[in-house]
Amino acid sequence: MLIASDLAVSAALANGAVPVIQDLNFSLAPGRVLGLVGESGAGKSMIGRAVAQLLPSGFSVTRGELLFDGQDLVRMPLDKRRELLGREIAFVPQEPLSGLNPVLTVGRQIDEHLARLAVGDARTRRARALVMLDAVHLPRGAELLGKYPHQLSGGMCQRVLIAMAFASRPKLLVADEPTTALDVTIQARIVQLIAEMQRHDGTSVIFITHDLRLAAQICDDILVLYAGRPAERGPARRVFSQPAHPYTRCLQLSNPAMSGPRRGLYALPERMPGLSALKTIQGCLFAPRCPSAVGACARALPPFTEVDDGHIAACIRITATAEISVPAPAAANAPKTGTPLLAVEGLSKTFRTARGFFRHDVVAAVRGVSFTLHENEFVGIVGESGSGKSTLARMLCGLDAPSQGTIVIAGRDVSDGSSRSNAHRRAHVQMVFQDPQSALNPRRRVASIVTQALEATGKVDWEERLARAKALLSEIGMPPEAAQRFPAQLSGGQRQRVNIARALCVAPNILVADEIVSGLDVSVQAQLLDLLMWLRRARAFSMLFISHDLSVVRYLCDRVLVMYRGEVVESGPTIQVFATPRHPYTRALLAAMPPDDLSAAWPPQSLEIEAAPLAGKAVEADA
Amino acid sequence: MIATVFPLVGRRLLASVLILLIVSALLFFVLHVLPVDPAAMSLPPSATIAEIEAMRREMGLDLPLPRQYLIWLSQVLQGDFGSSIHFRRDVLGLVGSALPATIELALLSMIVATVLGIFGGLMLFHVRGSRMEPIVDFGSILLLSIPEFLWSLFFILIFGVALQWLPFTGRLDPDLRLPQGTGFLLVDALVAGRFDIFWSAMRHMVLPCFALGIAFSPTIMRVLRSSLLDVYQEDYIHLARLRGLSEWRILRRHALKNAILPTLSLMGVQFGFLFGGTLLVEVIFSYPGLGNLMVDAVRNADLPIIQAVGLAYCAVVLVINTVVDSLYLVLNPKLRIR
Repeated sequence: MLIASDLAVSAALANGAVPVIQDLNFSLAPGRVLGLVGESGAGKSMIGRAVAQLLPSGFSVTRGELLFDGQDLVRMPLDKRRELLGREIAFVPQEPLSGLNPVLTVGRQIDEHLARLAVGDARTRRARALVMLDAVHLPRGAELLGKYPHQLSGGMCQRVLIAMAFASRPKLLVADEPTTALDVTIQARIVQLIAEMQRHDGTSVIFITHDLRLAAQICDDILVLYAGRPAERGPARRVFSQPAHPYTRCLQLSNPAMSGPRRGLYALPERMPGLSALKTIQGCLFAPRCPSAVGACARALPPFTEVDDGHIAACIRITATAEISVPAPAAANAPKTGTPLLAVEGLSKTFRTARGFFRHDVVAAVRGVSFTLHENEFVGIVGESGSGKSTLARMLCGLDAPSQGTIVIAGRDVSDGSSRSNAHRRAHVQMVFQDPQSALNPRRRVASIVTQALEATGKVDWEERLARAKALLSEIGMPPEAAQRFPAQLSGGQRQRVNIARALCVAPNILVADEIVSGLDVSVQAQLLDLLMWLRRARAFSMLFISHDLSVVRYLCDRVLVMYRGEVVESGPTIQVFATPRHPYTRALLAAMPPDDLSAAWPPQSLEIEAAPLAGKAVEADA
Repeated sequence: MIATVFPLVGRRLLASVLILLIVSALLFFVLHVLPVDPAAMSLPPSATIAEIEAMRREMGLDLPLPRQYLIWLSQVLQGDFGSSIHFRRDVLGLVGSALPATIELALLSMIVATVLGIFGGLMLFHVRGSRMEPIVDFGSILLLSIPEFLWSLFFILIFGVALQWLPFTGRLDPDLRLPQGTGFLLVDALVAGRFDIFWSAMRHMVLPCFALGIAFSPTIMRVLRSSLLDVYQEDYIHLARLRGLSEWRILRRHALKNAILPTLSLMGVQFGFLFGGTLLVEVIFSYPGLGNLMVDAVRNADLPIIQAVGLAYCAVVLVINTVVDSLYLVLNPKLRIR
């Protein structure tokens, strides 16, 4: 169906062409699913774009061919390839919400696609659209056709896009991280849907993902990429259970486990070489970060070795891979008992949304939440988007005023919102925001950002702030020179470190962290989780860790609160809650996570959960 | 659609009343600071001081200023703007015949500016990244830096004087008479079936409209270009390509509709400036609109006219802004009430 032979893509940089993809070989049989796995910058998406020959400007295929049904996509004239796109080859994007045109109704967009596929007249096309929506399990199709994309949830948009992709019964589907932007329960159902459609039409699928566990569950074969070069390729189950390449093994170990005892994480040092660095590396591209690298690795590009039937790896020390392991995590300071540092009682937040001239709706984002946080304790809050996690965090930090309830921090009720309460709160609670890109002022240097809390006091001079900034930077594992840089000069992981350092500046007792590792690569995530564990020992502070990723919460937190539609539906020690969940919602969340164990069928056939949208803004319970 | 626009128009109307009141007060009080005595001006130069005093009392000029304002305001609300000191005619009639002329000029200029702006914007977008880009870019900046009165003078010199293709004074050929009706010449001529008048009026409009339109088009071009560039970064454009749509169809169906929204809100602001810009152009082309009336009134310190024209400018700009905002609401589904 699709055969890549010796494919290479190069980018024209100022100092010459740099290979972005090289030595790419694979063949995808009809009806099979190939997983492309790797971290950002590995070249996964570039392969997807190479299939459509819609590479970014300056990038071009320099060698090899990409055969689709025996025709070379690379050297095919534009018109001919355009004929194939959307008809024989379909795509499902990463960001469903931005994948649909905001000013056209869903119906118009489906109709446009069907018209291109030359499906009858307008009435036939409408009937066909309704059938399509039904096939992707979207109810009330007729109503949906008249809606605009912003009126739908991400999961619904993705279903619409999947319906469009399968409209022509394509031979090949390229799904580029189709579930990354979605909640876990939705992810499970979207994956299920793609599998269902794919089986029905006998479509071959290229499934691009950063999640090795997910790929192992749903793909037939896996191709692991590192810096644009295949590291390992083989049957999915085998690659997952007996990885031959050290990078695959490290990826696996850098992800926290969902079952068994709490094990340490493998935090790969540094990061993947960028475009400009690629040229300077002589031997194996992974060698600088590889735990089992020897001198010979740095001298020549490793050849592909066949480990088993159809399982190959580009490594000269395959036998050493199985030995890579991580030590058990150092014991953390045990949480203190006694009077809690933070006690929240009956906390609620309602929003009023305008509706016409005089009327308004009242929407409860958080409803009667009570919990405590002890000294030295890490508490996780999990739930899907719209469950009220972030609103809760904002109230704790004083960014939103509670509608009801009390917040007692270190013995003082701060819910009255007076300026003295706020000063007390600021001394004890600091927040780390989700997106360091927008949380750090791009016009300020790192030193100024991390010591902003001191600037607010007005009593500390610049010399002292600079010294403090350097001390903080060394604490979070960054060189002192970084103090003079701007956020744009840092990598994503470094930015998140700076973001954490900023919160630590006033030595708060409580850190409120809102999804601070989501959207980062697993190796960077492991580095940050390590940092948090280390800080926990060194600094002795408490943390409320909000995340939709259950495995991270399981690794990091002593206790967990499960939130659903603004309420805490279950709480308790993390290991216990995850091992024996009581509330159906907790069970559903856990079932939606791809498990480590490949023998169980996943995704489960019956996922009886409704999404938990924040009512009001979105009356859009996903199908 | 009506349900969407109605609350906006309602709010705007309330705000407009307030704005008009403030502007009227400003106009009234500021103009009274001028060393002008309407009483003396409305009498022959031979009048005695006593006669002038009597006139002042009769006109109410001895009353305190706020009182005078309230009297003027109540008369204005009844539709009585007073009579012109210089022309000795009813102000409402003068403004009523000049306002349609200016609106006609401004609307046609806006059409010219929009057509040129959209074509120019598409061209600027089309040549992006090519060797033509700096040249076209330079051209648009050149257009941007020439003001409307310079265009007017160029056009008069080239098309009026040198080539003698088009007339450049007034609204009609001298042998034609203005038809009765709304005051919108083009509309009246069509209603009366007088195509000769329509043709003559159009010929008179060409130069002033292009002078104004060309001067205002480059901003539209540049905003359209940059919003098109933004839109082409969006995922749905990429996905449309992956669905095999042609570039032309992507531009027409997907990109332009999104890129036009920022351009539209700019055009609303632009129209306000353009309406003010008619003043100079009207004077240059001796076009009998609000601008010329205003200049005459200022020259003669004709307070009632200045007040009325000032209010008329303000009202027109408010109306245009409301229309553009309503249009924005209709075109942007995200702002619509579900």
